[in-house]
Amino acid sequence: MAPPSAAVAVALLVGGILLLFAGYSPLKAYAVMWTGAFGSLNNLAETLLKSTPLILIGSGLAVAFRSGIWNIGAEGQLYAGAVAATLAGIVFTGLPAFLLVPLVLMAGMLSGAIWGGLAGFLKVRFGASEIVTTIMLNFLAIIATSYLVTGPMIEAVGKFPQTAQIADAARLPRILLPTRLHVGFLLSLGVAVATYLLLFKSSRGYALRTVGISPDAARYAGINVGAGLLAAMAISGGVAGLAGAVEVTGLTFRLYQEISPGYGFDGIAVALLANNNPIGVIFTGILFGALRSGSEVMQMNAQVPSVLVSVIQGVVLLSAAALGVFRITQTNNQEE
Amino acid sequence: MDPLVIVSFLAAVLAATWRLATPFIYTSLGEVFSERAGVLNIGLEGVMLIGAFTAFSITFFTGSPVWGLAAAMAGGLTCGLLFAFLTVSLKANQIVVGAAFNLVGLGLTSFLYRSIFSGRMETAREYASFSPLEIPLLSRLPFFGEALFQQNLMVYATPFVVLAGAFVLYRTAFGLSVRSTGEHPRTVDAAGLPVGLIRYASVLIGCALAAVGGAYLTVAHTNQFNEGITSGRGFIALAVVVIGRWSPWGAFFISLLFGFFYALQLRLQAVSGITIPYQFLQALPYLLTLVVFVTLRKRADAPSALGVPYKSS
Amino acid sequence: MHKRRLHNFFTVKNNLWHLVLISLGLFLSALAGGCSGGAEKRDDSDVFKVGLLSPGPVNGQGWTQIAYEALLKIEKELGAQISYVEVEQSPALFERAFRDYASQGYQMVLGHGFEFQDAALAVAKDYPDTWFFISSSKIHEGNVVGVDSDSSQPFYLMGIAAAKMGRGAGLIGGVEIPPITNAFIGFTNGVRSVNPDFPISTTYLGSWTDAAAAKEAALSMIAEGADFIIPDADAAGSGVYQALNETGPGYWSFGIYNDYTSQAPNNMMGNYFNDYGQGLVNIARQVRAGNFETQSNLVFGVKDRDVIWVEFEEGRASAEVLESVEKAIEGIIAGSINTLAPIR
Repeated sequence: MAPPSAAVAVALLVGGILLLFAGYSPLKAYAVMWTGAFGSLNNLAETLLKSTPLILIGSGLAVAFRSGIWNIGAEGQLYAGAVAATLAGIVFTGLPAFLLVPLVLMAGMLSGAIWGGLAGFLKVRFGASEIVTTIMLNFLAIIATSYLVTGPMIEAVGKFPQTAQIADAARLPRILLPTRLHVGFLLSLGVAVATYLLLFKSSRGYALRTVGISPDAARYAGINVGAGLLAAMAISGGVAGLAGAVEVTGLTFRLYQEISPGYGFDGIAVALLANNNPIGVIFTGILFGALRSGSEVMQMNAQVPSVLVSVIQGVVLLSAAALGVFRITQTNNQEE
Repeated sequence: MDPLVIVSFLAAVLAATWRLATPFIYTSLGEVFSERAGVLNIGLEGVMLIGAFTAFSITFFTGSPVWGLAAAMAGGLTCGLLFAFLTVSLKANQIVVGAAFNLVGLGLTSFLYRSIFSGRMETAREYASFSPLEIPLLSRLPFFGEALFQQNLMVYATPFVVLAGAFVLYRTAFGLSVRSTGEHPRTVDAAGLPVGLIRYASVLIGCALAAVGGAYLTVAHTNQFNEGITSGRGFIALAVVVIGRWSPWGAFFISLLFGFFYALQLRLQAVSGITIPYQFLQALPYLLTLVVFVTLRKRADAPSALGVPYKSS
Repeated sequence: MHKRRLHNFFTVKNNLWHLVLISLGLFLSALAGGCSGGAEKRDDSDVFKVGLLSPGPVNGQGWTQIAYEALLKIEKELGAQISYVEVEQSPALFERAFRDYASQGYQMVLGHGFEFQDAALAVAKDYPDTWFFISSSKIHEGNVVGVDSDSSQPFYLMGIAAAKMGRGAGLIGGVEIPPITNAFIGFTNGVRSVNPDFPISTTYLGSWTDAAAAKEAALSMIAEGADFIIPDADAAGSGVYQALNETGPGYWSFGIYNDYTSQAPNNMMGNYFNDYGQGLVNIARQVRAGNFETQSNLVFGVKDRDVIWVEFEEGRASAEVLESVEKAIEGIIAGSINTLAPIR
């Protein structure tokens, strides 16, 4: 069996049937999609740009899921990070780049960690299901962002619902001119490797995974389960917040109402499809980035509605689930 | 303020409350069954969308909202069958499958809507729907006549459906086995009852009712479909289940409470002189959910086997 | 337990291996594609190509639909090759879409919303032969030109009708953004020009899709005594028409951007038409001929009678109302009426 590749094949097949049904040529549509994702240097760069937040979020979520805590809130944590990063990028305009860039990224990471940690705290302290609280915190972060960019943080000129641009010195350098690919992509690879080392090559990671496999066994082994869950939420939230900061400093340079097209939710799929292994996340992140990036070009050049990509991504997950990719990540944290 | 003004204000808010609460009531009642049996379905939003779209298109082609509703239930049952097959038979991760349902629900309904209805948008918006039924005399009652006795059938049905749900869950052998399956599947298994079958049934009930909740939006409350018309209601229903302590009547009243917030925020905005940012009012249900977790303090009465696939040994 | 671990170990490896294979395949063909990319270019430089970046589904009502219909009109009237892309609401993705169109030799690309402005500016320098038009923007910088439909003007006219004929007005907006708030300012100014004490209430839904909420908002305004309820909320707006249709005659609305009479045949005072397409065809014709130039951003208003106009239904508004509306149109064109004058 070859679960992940089979899952992708099944999804493309289902997508193909839908395409036929709607009167498009599946082969032509997929060919265009392929070219759109990888067919030129620029397309490749755009795919990697879309993969960047997915790899970041997916690596963080791998830590959470391995620790047995279901963080569904990466989307909200990304927003929290984007807000803080924007704020830092607007306020500290006087600093040089080598200070400002780390500061802005740290601000995003901290803010995401707090937003994620909040759900962890509610879980540990009050037994609140993190699945429900993180979903609520998603909505709250998105609504709060909408309030901030239409109210207190709205740009001074123009009065459109967006903030002012962040300082030039806060922007991430580009690494593959003339494309937009920025250093954030390398950062995401670094984070993936770091979370891999944390999870699989450190004693802390071993403790976290033990908590994930069996909280009771972990407790018996003298591991502080509550602290572990809190740490896992803070780490995954922090990395998602970093993804928000990277979007702002690498691409948009300011905050808008809808800064993310659902990266936080795609990130869940990316982590799970990679079996919660951060190194695998690099590949699944690029796969999902390519699907999104390719579907846009498919719409431009073959006029196929890009919503099709949601179906394809969903079916990838479903068939991977059916093929048993995720069975081992099953934990019984709900008993916690 | 003049008490009469306040009463009529409340009466109008109340009428809207019930209508806005109805999709939450159906969807959360179904999820109560599913979760009571130990299966968490975070894909409610996707199932609602599928119900909304199926009801819309079948009503459009047959001219009958009753057929539309029936088709939506069939669609919901299909979703439920798939969900149960993956999570119960194959023991796939429930979060993954739920997340996938949300993706597929939005993508599939949007894609089909465009493939089937594009170019016919204008006509597609006019078709029969469940319209308000006035109950003679009672609907003329001052103030609360409209709130209570001028609603459509799907709204009137809610307390009866919840009553039936509560009866099944607490007063029947099936209900008992559902509740036990969510708490101690192993004991249920040892007693010779089919854990898998019970979970299948609960998931089917859950998805069918979620589809009805979605259908309500397109054939009862309004008579139109648009992409993403559920606007996050499936996620609110998840919160309703938790705050309602996994009980049918709890789900009913918490749904009404959320419906009330929804109605109130729409109404407060329209009253001149009140200048709260509308985002604050939108945030209320979500904030409330978090507050409930903190104030209830004691551990939520979540079914203890919630989210855990059952492997007979 | 031990067995399960072992199994995990292999599954992880196994999955990883497949992922590596897939990715390797992707990268190899990417390289291949990158090398052969140049050969694919066909010489179709004589074709007039127009692209659209739509902020939402092109079949959504209202705002997103008018741009799509404009695109179709350009195709029909000018024989242009057209293309559109629904970019998800994420500004980070816009720049790519602009660049893709421009690099394929599109002479004209429309970003339908102010949010496309930054991305167009970033791309425009590299593609001086492409005109970038940005809806509801006031920008004018090189080949990036804002194109605004001043909805405050038709809303001003609706305000006059409401204040002359009704008891109170309700405005239901999708999200609180300048195109919507400006329209509502226009409405308020129109109302004030007739009766400064006429009650107006405003509600924002925070959504462009939630028709149920729009319907309830309309019903609650009716309960408060309003009899002119006007939406500006795209697809959600038809919930308002449905509320009026169910409430019965004597309550009025206007179709926004298009003819919505069929949704509430007894309740439409009229329709505000925005034939953005006609406006853009006029521009596109010049772009195709290669003689388009402008000294400023472009604003369509009631002065462009083939682009923006309000059509009243037969026999619903009195001659006196229609006359005041005509007079207001003249005033707006002459500049004696400022529909965007600050309220209070």
